[in-house]
Amino acid sequence: MQIVVNGEAQEIPLECTVFQLLTDNAVTLKAAVVELNGKILKQEHWQSTLLQADDRLEILIFMGGG
Amino acid sequence: MNDTIQSVNPSDDSLLIGGANLHSRLFVGTGKFSSHEIVPQVLEASGSQVVTMALRRVDWKNPQENILNYMPPNTILLPNTSGARTAEEAVRIARLAQAAGCGNWVKIEVVQDQRYLLPDNWETLRATEQLVKEGFVVLPYMSPDLGAARRLQDAGASAIMPLGAPIGSNRGLQTKELIRILIEEISLPIIVDAGIGRPSEAAEAMEMGAAAVLVNTAIATAGDPVFMAQAFRLAVTAGRMGYLAGPGERRIEAAASSPLTGFLQEG
Repeated sequence: MQIVVNGEAQEIPLECTVFQLLTDNAVTLKAAVVELNGKILKQEHWQSTLLQADDRLEILIFMGGG
Repeated sequence: MNDTIQSVNPSDDSLLIGGANLHSRLFVGTGKFSSHEIVPQVLEASGSQVVTMALRRVDWKNPQENILNYMPPNTILLPNTSGARTAEEAVRIARLAQAAGCGNWVKIEVVQDQRYLLPDNWETLRATEQLVKEGFVVLPYMSPDLGAARRLQDAGASAIMPLGAPIGSNRGLQTKELIRILIEEISLPIIVDAGIGRPSEAAEAMEMGAAAVLVNTAIATAGDPVFMAQAFRLAVTAGRMGYLAGPGERRIEAAASSPLTGFLQEG
């Protein structure tokens, strides 16, 4: 099934949680922040949230900035 | 703020912002460094307690990278809202940064102008009003304008951060006179942000009575960033001490430093 991750279409397996997507892509979980369909998804809900087709996911981290 | 100088004790000259007592008046940005590995050394050399960073989409080619891995413990994190073009976007970024566990400080940065990256004071004010209501410690980056600064103060900003020159330009205090007026008229701490390119310019801002300065590009793009961070630390301290000491009067004509009597050739 297809969802949109950080503005780009991505194919993911069925029954995939947010947590699984992050760990499969080796994202450092510490201080990552996730927005699902425009709403902040708290870290405690990552394991229990199943992604649905056409979901829009933003995965953000901190980079150097002034 | 001139009327408060006399009551400042230089040995206990901390800066109070958002409930934090800051001993360092140098805020440091973490952008543009050649590698993240150098950041801890730079921060240590700078003595800074408040450090800025930016929230961005994760880089899939480098998903482990995160500037927070390089922050010393007890650093106050000051995420910026760079990339925001409107108040709504700035508010969204601030909420995300808070959700990431970065505390409740935020540097509002709302820019539409891509050439000079000058901030939009109107959108900045709207974002400040909203985020103060939500309990954030709000430090707005702004174009130095007294009316806008007053409105930001009324909206509950914790400090005002006027630019000295465009971001990353290293051109120093081009807006010096306008910043001087803000220091004189606004009771909040004035933190000069953007444009400071040399330690002497940081010292100049502090001598004028700025509460602090925020420096990024000048350190990050220096030949030796660690050495430059130390230079800025000393310059900020020197400028602050000069301000507290109360500089002497400026004159057009000379006023001899040595006595004008008792010359050898007399009599």
